[in-house]
Amino acid sequence: MEKLLEVKDLHVSFDTYGGEVKAVRGVNFDLNKGETLAIVGESGSGKSVTTKALMQLIPMPPGRIKQGEILFEGRDLAKMSDKQMQKIRGKEISMIFQDPMTSLNPTMKVGNQIMEGLIKHQKMSKPQARKRVVELLELVGIADAENRMKQYPHQFSGGMRQRVVVAIALACNPKLLIADEPTTALDVTIQAQILELMKDIQKKTDSATIFITHDLGVVANVADRVAVMYAGKIVEVGTVDDIFYNPKHPYTWGLLGSMPSLDSEDEELYAIPGSPPDLLNPPKGDAFAARNEYAMKIDLEQEPPMFKVSDTHYAATWLLHENAPDIDPPAAVKKRMEGMAKTSGGSEGEQR
Amino acid sequence: MTRYIIQRLIYLVITMILIATLTFFLMKFLPGTPLSAADKLSEEQQQVVLEKYGLDDPVPIQYFNYMVNLVQGDLGISFQFDNREVSTIIMERIGPSMQLGVQAMVIGVILGMLLGLVSAIYHNGFMDYTSTFLAVLGQSIPSFVFAGLLQFYIGVKFGWFPVALWEGWEYTVLPTASLAIFPIAIAARFMRTEMLEVMGSDYIVTARAKGVNKVGVVFKHGLRNALIPLITVLGPLAISLMTGSLVIENIFAVPGIGEQFVKAINVNDYPIIMGTTLLLSFMFIIIILVIDLLYGVIDPRIRLAEGE
Repeated sequence: MEKLLEVKDLHVSFDTYGGEVKAVRGVNFDLNKGETLAIVGESGSGKSVTTKALMQLIPMPPGRIKQGEILFEGRDLAKMSDKQMQKIRGKEISMIFQDPMTSLNPTMKVGNQIMEGLIKHQKMSKPQARKRVVELLELVGIADAENRMKQYPHQFSGGMRQRVVVAIALACNPKLLIADEPTTALDVTIQAQILELMKDIQKKTDSATIFITHDLGVVANVADRVAVMYAGKIVEVGTVDDIFYNPKHPYTWGLLGSMPSLDSEDEELYAIPGSPPDLLNPPKGDAFAARNEYAMKIDLEQEPPMFKVSDTHYAATWLLHENAPDIDPPAAVKKRMEGMAKTSGGSEGEQR
Repeated sequence: MTRYIIQRLIYLVITMILIATLTFFLMKFLPGTPLSAADKLSEEQQQVVLEKYGLDDPVPIQYFNYMVNLVQGDLGISFQFDNREVSTIIMERIGPSMQLGVQAMVIGVILGMLLGLVSAIYHNGFMDYTSTFLAVLGQSIPSFVFAGLLQFYIGVKFGWFPVALWEGWEYTVLPTASLAIFPIAIAARFMRTEMLEVMGSDYIVTARAKGVNKVGVVFKHGLRNALIPLITVLGPLAISLMTGSLVIENIFAVPGIGEQFVKAINVNDYPIIMGTTLLLSFMFIIIILVIDLLYGVIDPRIRLAEGE
């Protein structure tokens, strides 16, 4: 497997009147060619900021990449100027956004919005670009492309607009596609369609994908590997199987336990108590300790390092230390894990 | 689209008739008669004059006669200004006013938008503070103060442009400059606010994510979306500028419509009052129509169904 992207010790901060908000505090991950990595976590955990920082799309100022390296095919994106980034954005890395209702320019024809990247990056003439736009719109499942490309975003439904956003992202065959909660703003049936579309396209184009979501159901459906983020850090990373069937971090337990499932009727959903820490003054030790019923003394003193569970699976919790007591996930979460193991007997594609 | 314009033009006619009616009767409530100043005339002489102009008829008859003439395009003759045709007097006077107004508007909007754009792009930087400061000054200091300063420094001290009167293009420079200050300030402030808001919206991030450069983001994606609120405020401003500024016309001795209008009201010159009011209303309605059509040009969401 060839590495496409390596993020090393990435720190992103926002300078506000109240002080420095440390939104991302030392994130490490890598991504192979053609692989899909899901980043999950609750609101404010730094998922979006991390990926926006990859493309230098965070507003700077007040945001800044404080330290760390973003190696994309060996080049460090963190040190690139805006001019240099313009050649990478949309061409080698592109992004699908959360809300299709606001992420298209309301005063520009849809076709022109897709064409822009083609003309800039691939130096296409207008007729060439127009031909490619028709292909792209057909690829993302928009019928009557010739006419639709001359329309404005308000003439499209939400799901259709998201297809257009996907087409914009795919226009130049990027090596890396970042999807920032691409289905969150859509209703459930449309969500399934867009997910199916993205999986389909990935098969055809073989681009690597970073998929940000807080919907674990989506993760099981699309990802190869999962990174769980909490308070600006990755707390657990592993393959989909590692995370769903053998989670090690109490926060991951909480996330899994709070996910409703269809096959059990009267079970209560598990809720993680408390709220995420204030990143203006991140707590000492493990940021999750205050909400963690298994927290130990050391959690309040020192940050846990990444413990290795297997070659693919790492988690940052002191529970994995050799001196820690052996603790099982809560019963509700355990039941959930068993349930998932049962339903996913090799037919992942069907659970939509 | 054509149907819409025709519909609007029909409304225009109805509105004009209403305005004519209302103005006619309100005008009759003004104290005095056109002869108030003519106290040297005897009762009989006054009676003769009133009869000659039909002013001794009951008001409804006068109204009827006026409307019949109006529909035929006859605005009547002036009582006070050498009995000349009202249309001739207005035509002479509207030219300078409109020229000043249009010049001030064009310069004001272009400069103001540039200032506002610079402000938005260098948000919270030196350029932003400078241009915001200028905009606040321009909006809060009355135009006659600028007019006086311009006359003194540029007109008298440096002698670059004539101080007053209306004898050629160079005479328009100072009044235009004084008139333009306000639209510059308004355009700059609105442009800045709108542009800042637009630049923070999701589709701007989408554009940047496509690799569009800074200039492209601002002009191709930002500007058009920021224009709608600007046009909304600039419309009425354009009207008030083009229909003549009483103050500026007086300071620079410009023979414009604003000055004429006020004179006519003071001496109860009914036909001139009517004619001027109708002309200004007409311009007002037309400009509003143009603005409504402009909305559609700028924002496709406002565009009217084109029966396709």
